[in-house]
Amino acid sequence: MRDVAGRPHGISRELLAIGALGGALSGLLGVGGGIVMVPLLVLWARYGQRDAHAASLAAIIPISIAGIATYGIAGQVEVWPAIALAVGSIAGARVGAGLLARIDERLLKALFGAFLLGVAVLMVVRR
Amino acid sequence: MTGVVLYVSLVLFGALTGVASGLLGVGGGTLMVPFLTLAVGLTQHQAEATSLLVILPTAIAGTLALRRRGVGEAGVALRFGVVGAVGAVLGALLALALPASTLRLVFAGFVAIVGVRLLRDGLRAHSRAETG
Repeated sequence: MRDVAGRPHGISRELLAIGALGGALSGLLGVGGGIVMVPLLVLWARYGQRDAHAASLAAIIPISIAGIATYGIAGQVEVWPAIALAVGSIAGARVGAGLLARIDERLLKALFGAFLLGVAVLMVVRR
Repeated sequence: MTGVVLYVSLVLFGALTGVASGLLGVGGGTLMVPFLTLAVGLTQHQAEATSLLVILPTAIAGTLALRRRGVGEAGVALRFGVVGAVGAVLGALLALALPASTLRLVFAGFVAIVGVRLLRDGLRAHSRAETG
C-alpha cells in the first residue's frame, strides 16, 4: 500500500503465521508475544534483530487489544494495578527504546535469559 | 502489600518492565505476570489479564518512540498483528478454561524455556564475530 520500493519487508505468509502464533501465546499467557515473535522474525522472516524487536512491539498493539477484550468479558482485568504499572512502563519504554539504538544485543539476551530462569524457578517454588 | 506502598511499587516495577519492553521488543508480561502473582497476590488469570492491559499502552509508547527514530516498519507489523489478534482470543479462551494452578505451571515452563534459549543464544552469539 505505502511500501516504498526497496524496503525489505512486505506482508507474507511467514509474517501471518508468526502473528497468529504470537497472538495465541499472548492470549494464553498474558504476555506480549514478542518472546516468540522476535526469534521467528529473525530466523524465519529474515528480519534483523533490531527490526524484529520494532515489528514485534507494533504487532503487540492489536494482539493485546484482543486479549484484553477476551479477559475483560470474563471479568479478570484489574484496572487500578494496571494503570499504576502502565504509568511506570510508559516512561520506562521511552528510555528502553532510546537505549535500543546503541545496546549490545547479545549481552542483553544473555542477561535477560539468566534472569528469566530465576523467575521460572521462583514461580514453581512459591506456589 | 497494601495502599500507597502497593501502588508505589507497581509504578516502579512498571518502569523496569517498560525499559525491558523498549529494549527487547517484548511487552514486559514475562516480568509482570510473576510480579503480580508472587508480590501482589493476584490470581494467575487476573495477573495475565492485567498484564495485557499494561502491555497495550507500553507497546504504543515504544512503537511511537522507535518510529521517531526511524527504526522498523510499524505498518507491516500492525497488519500481521491483526491476524495475531484472532490467535489472542483463542489463547485467552484456552487460558480461561484452565485451572489457575495448571496455567501457572504452563507459564513457569514457558518462562524457563525462554530463559534457557535467550541465555544460550546470547552466549553463543557473543563469541562470534559481529555481523551487524
